[in-house]
Amino acid sequence: MKIQELIQNLGLKPLSRFEDRDISGVFISDMMSDAMANAKSGNLWITVQTHKSIIPAANLVDVAAVIITSGKTVPQDTVELADRHAIALLSTDQPTFDLIGKLYGLGIATS
Amino acid sequence: MKIEAIRDSLKASVLAREDLLGAEVEDIYASDLMSDVLAFGLPNSLLLTGLASQQSLISAHMAEFKAVVLLRGKRAKDGAERFATEHSMVLMSTRLDMYDACVRIHALRDGNGVQPKELGTTQAVDNILLQQKFQIEGNDFSKAGYVSTEVKSMLKKIGVDPVLIRSVAISCYEAEMNVFMHALRAKVDLTVTPRLIEVMLTDEGKGIPDVEQAMQEGFTTATDDQRALGFGSGLGLPNIKRNTDELQVTSEVGKGTTLVMRFFLQRPGS
Repeated sequence: MKIQELIQNLGLKPLSRFEDRDISGVFISDMMSDAMANAKSGNLWITVQTHKSIIPAANLVDVAAVIITSGKTVPQDTVELADRHAIALLSTDQPTFDLIGKLYGLGIATS
Repeated sequence: MKIEAIRDSLKASVLAREDLLGAEVEDIYASDLMSDVLAFGLPNSLLLTGLASQQSLISAHMAEFKAVVLLRGKRAKDGAERFATEHSMVLMSTRLDMYDACVRIHALRDGNGVQPKELGTTQAVDNILLQQKFQIEGNDFSKAGYVSTEVKSMLKKIGVDPVLIRSVAISCYEAEMNVFMHALRAKVDLTVTPRLIEVMLTDEGKGIPDVEQAMQEGFTTATDDQRALGFGSGLGLPNIKRNTDELQVTSEVGKGTTLVMRFFLQRPGS
């Protein structure tokens, strides 16, 4: 599945400019060190972390997109950094656990 | 959902309180950020987290959770098992990651058709009086959360409504973590009258230059190390504000910060 399809299917809000690409697998963590160690290229990274340090981490492991859950307000400097690196930064009001129920319904496999 | 059914679906091993596996949980919260757990987790939930330190257990205890599952085969660290045992929470470990664990519990829940329940109603508490002083030494991170745990136990012992205890506990724990992250030490004064619970925390430390800014959600001066512990995401003071009936923050740069948190047992004028 591509990022644009995911946005439409789940009603996500895109925050940054990005190039559409395929998603393969999901990784959830709110700890930077964890994401850098365990997320894989092309993953969808789901987190409640909004600090700008998520963008270098996302860039480093080459995730397809980052979804910020629980309706967190994402700081402007995080969005700007995502724009600069063309990282798809998306948001939703749903908590992580609820969002996973929907992803599971769409049939997205694990990482 | 029975904790036992969740254990089976996650193929988890039980690290503490196997005797409580028959208990029911009403909701699931998946996060590694402890402020998030304290802000949004509902009582009687189960926590799915990759944070294996004792802080996960303390946060879960403050938020009235019944069980904690450590993900990706993480082993419990620095006293987590003991804390779970002492405070009656089931602690489990699974090899699954957060996504797989969420998916399996969703499948289990859909199969059972279990819906989250509404919170219980509050009850008034009469004729209680308690005064206690505590000391927090900010340099000893292994003790972070001990004062909040103590305050919680004391309030429980004198029969304060659990919903209110939860608000006090969450606020205390956030305030205590702030001392560990930003100050040297602090004095804590707990006072309970028939009308209110007051917690005054006075720290010696660098102080807050702009209190209004510090109250904004997302504003943080924490280091990456502190964030790695699941704190320092700029939710602490806003979280305290959300949980208190009255909050006063006064601070002097280079000296320290004083927090007065009040929780009403009876509304003023009622």
